[in-house]
Formats: sequence, structure tokens, C-alpha cells
Amino acid sequence: MFSKGLQTRATARWVDWGIIAVMAVIGVFMLMPFLWLFSMSFRPVADAYKMPPSFIPPTLDFTNYRAVLASDVPFLRIYWNSVQIAVLVTVGQLVTCTLAAFAFARLSFPGRDSLFFVMLIGLMFPAQVTIIPIYLGYAQTGLLNQPLGLALMYLTSSFGVFLVRQFMRSQPKALEEAALMDGAGYFKIFWRISLPQLRPALSALGIITFTQTWNYYFQARVLLEPQDAMTLPVAMDMLRGFMGQGNLSMVMAAMSMAVLPVILIFLVAQKLVIEGVTMSGIKH
Amino acid sequence: MTTIAANRPSELRRAQARAGYLFILPSFVLYLTFVLAPVIVTFLLSFTYYDAIDGASFVGLDNFVRFLTDERSLQIFWNTLRFTFFAVTFNVGVGLALAMALNRAMPAFLLYFFRLAFFLPVIIAAAFVSIVWGYFYGDDLGVINYYLIRLGFAPVRWLTSSSTAMMSIIIMDVWKNTGFFMIIFIAALQGVPKNIMDAAVMDGANWWRRFSRIILPFISPVIFFNIVYASIGAMQVYESIVILTQGGPGDSTRSMSILIVEEAFGSFEIGYAASVSVVLTLVILVITSLQLIASRRWVSY
Repeated sequence: MFSKGLQTRATARWVDWGIIAVMAVIGVFMLMPFLWLFSMSFRPVADAYKMPPSFIPPTLDFTNYRAVLASDVPFLRIYWNSVQIAVLVTVGQLVTCTLAAFAFARLSFPGRDSLFFVMLIGLMFPAQVTIIPIYLGYAQTGLLNQPLGLALMYLTSSFGVFLVRQFMRSQPKALEEAALMDGAGYFKIFWRISLPQLRPALSALGIITFTQTWNYYFQARVLLEPQDAMTLPVAMDMLRGFMGQGNLSMVMAAMSMAVLPVILIFLVAQKLVIEGVTMSGIKH
Repeated sequence: MTTIAANRPSELRRAQARAGYLFILPSFVLYLTFVLAPVIVTFLLSFTYYDAIDGASFVGLDNFVRFLTDERSLQIFWNTLRFTFFAVTFNVGVGLALAMALNRAMPAFLLYFFRLAFFLPVIIAAAFVSIVWGYFYGDDLGVINYYLIRLGFAPVRWLTSSSTAMMSIIIMDVWKNTGFFMIIFIAALQGVPKNIMDAAVMDGANWWRRFSRIILPFISPVIFFNIVYASIGAMQVYESIVILTQGGPGDSTRSMSILIVEEAFGSFEIGYAASVSVVLTLVILVITSLQLIASRRWVSY
């Protein structure tokens, strides 16, 4: 009996390792497109379509990167648009969402719960149902083709308000009540007591917002037409057309630069990214 | 001010209300401007014929009738539903299988590797990964066909044949998104009570019985969540298709989101495009509520 138990446990261990080995192979396959992307970006243009494809960069030659920056496509300008939009939207959401979340979680005022409900309804609507009026409105106010116009429409989000509010509700109220007794104003309480405790929620929201904004395509494609107003995901599609067949290596060098910020964030804050994106499951 | 507030509760309450409205003001104004008002306007526009010169004129349900009687738009509607069905089934199914396989003790570096491998595609824009996959899927110069030929198989016209293009997009979509569902399933599996599993092992329950009688019922709310979440995303599919096939060959991969953009900003059929967005939104709401209703039958909370 005892020895049989040991034996099954030993078999189970082998099965475990077998499964992990199979998963490791699948994992390597999952990474293939990324390996190929970076490897291609270091390949001489002439070798771009040489088969078999290399998944490990043959050299570390930055010629293609320099070529992208020197090309007719205003790559740096486009990059700067993406950075501006992502940073503005991230900062904007951190401010507006935490302020609103504080009010919804901590203050009582007439209509609070109905207003919160109205904001939550926003989670149901896809971008496709808001894009036409926003386009028409932007066309009339001159916001069309302005990178900052795209940022403007994302300065708040129902998801962000909801996320921060959930965090706030789980915090003890005692400190705030004590501060109120001492005569502190609500903004002071928010700034000095609530905010410092919210650091995990804020980093999660910040990371989700930054990566999402960096990746926006649908809205950016509709609202930002000329080359130097574009953001990276949209421009990449155009770059592909420009640099075309022979210059695959150059397109991949541009792509590598475009995905770099998100990959860096992921490598540095892996756990936080996964928690954050998992939480964002509520909204696409 | 503070002493008065402390002495008079009604003044305190008023101050709190004032602060409350001030705190939600920025968020709420932006929300009204960029979400709620546009939703209402789209809904109204969907009943109009709208052009830039004459403005909008009320046409009743004409746009919706046009959508439901036009063969092309029905084909596109069907494409979207088909894509959603397969993308959701495989994303959630493969995600669960991977999660089951990874839900075991392992060294930290392996955990790190698996997170990296399965989650990187999730956080990279579909626009970026579609460009890379576009080259993988190439007919003559594509990486996949190169290996198929080397292994002695016939090359496949991944994106240039209307019978395979949709499948190719779904394969890429599963590669990109299944890691998300895997992570959520892993979190759920870690919540399965260990003592019940141990008891089942002691009683000699085999793997399938443990899976179907304990794990499945326990994680059913999460399965339900993943299906709803995956459907909402898949119904809106846009950039993967635009970049891989532009909706072609023919209309074989065109989705409703593409139709909306083409009608509204290509042909300036604003009213018609608005009605297509309303249909899309309604379908998303219907799927969500159907799944809510269905879940009452099989989800054990």
C-alpha cells in the first residue's frame, strides 16, 4: 500500500514534467513571431526574404533602424504623437478617475448612486457606436486630425472610475473620519490620506491605460488622417505600404521600436501588468 | 467654517454634497460628452438619411430595412457572427486547456517564461501582430508555406482564398488572445478547494470525473465570464482583418466594424452607418443577456 502510493506519486511527477515540457515547446512557438520580428529588423534588406527565416538575429546591425529614422515617413513625429497621447490619457485618467472614485466611494450626496450607475452603463457601449458623432463633432470644432483630440476623448473612463472605487471601498475609513474631525477639507483628505493608500490601484490603472492607449487603432484610424498626425499602430500599416516588398527589414525595425515600450513595461512590471489586464477584463 | 460645519450637521452635509459634485465633475462631463451623448446621437442618426450638404432627414426604419434586405450586409453580419463563434470557442477552449496544463507547481523561472510567452501577444496591439502574421501567411514568400513545402505538404493560400482567409484570421486571433483567458482560468483553478480534490483522489475518482464533477462546476462562473468577454471583443473585430485581408477576398472576411467605417467615412452614408452600429450594439447586448440567462441554468455560483 505504502509503496504503491509512492510509486503513483513518482509517476505523477513524470506526467507533470512531461506536460511542462510540452507547454514549453508551445511557449517557444508562441514567441516565434516576436523572435522573427526582432531578428528581421537586424537583417540586411537584401536578405529579408532569404529562407529558411532566421529566428535569432544573425548580427546586431542597426542600419535598418537608422534607415527608418532617415526615411520620408515622419517616424519620429508619429512616435512622439503616440507618446503624447498615451502619457496624456494615462495622467488624465489617473486624475479624473480617482477624483470621481473618491466621491462615489467616500462622500454622500443626493443622486450619488444613480450617477454612478449612469457612468457604469458606459461599459456596455462599443467604440463603434460613439465614433460617428465624435467624428462629426470633431470635424466642426477643428479637433479632427489633432493627436490631442484623440487624447481628449479618453481623459476619463467608466472602467477606471469603477476600478479605483472598488479599491477605495475596501480601505478603512477611520483615518479619514479623524482628519475630518480635525477640520481637514475633503480635497486634503483625498490627497493626503486616500491617494497614498491607492498606489497599487493607481499603478494597475496606469499600466492598463498606457498599453491600451498605445494600441488604439479603430479610433485613431478614423480621427487621424494625415501622416504627421498618425499614431504608431495606424502608421505601421502605412509604412508597410511605403517600404513595401523589398524593405521588410525596415518595416520590422520600425515595428520593433513601436512595440518596445509595451514590452519594456511588461518585462519590468510583469505581475502588475497581468493583474491589471486581468482586472480590465471588464472592458475591452 | 470648520467649527460651524462641526456644529451644524446640515451644513456639513451640504459641504459634502458640494465636494462630491465637484469631484465627479471632470469625469462626468467628459463621460457625457464622449460616451453618453454620442450614443444617443448615433441612435437618432440611425433613423435618418444624413449627408453633409442637406443635413439629416428622418427616414424611419429605412436604414434597418436596407441592412436586413441587403445581401452584402447580411453576408458581413454572418461573417462577424461566424468569426465570433469560432474565435470565442477556441480562445476559451484553448485557454482552459493551457490553464489546466499549467496549473501545477513549477520553478519560478518556468512560471516567468510561461507568463512571457502566453501573455506577450495579449498586450501587443492587434495592428502590430497582424503585420507580422501577414508575412507569415504569405503565399510564396511566407514563412508558414516555406515550412509546409519543406515538410512535403502543399502550400496553403492563407489569406488569398475566400475559403481559408477567415480561418487564418481566427488562428491568429487565438494565438493573440488565448493567453488572456488562460490567465483568468489559472486564477480560477487556484481557487478550487484542495481538500475536495484530495478527497476525490482518495475515493478513486479518475481525472475526467474530477474535472467534470468538481473543477467544471466550480469554475463555471469564470467560463461564463470569459465567454461573454470574448464575444464582446470578437463582435468588434476590426484591425486584425483590415490589416490581414482588408475584408477580402471579396467580402469573405469583412466585419461589421469595417462596414461601419467604410459606410460612414468612405461613402459618407452616415445614417446607414449609424444604423449598422446600432445593430452591432444591440447584438452585443443580446449576446450578453442570452449568456446571462443561460448561465442561470448551468453556472453554480
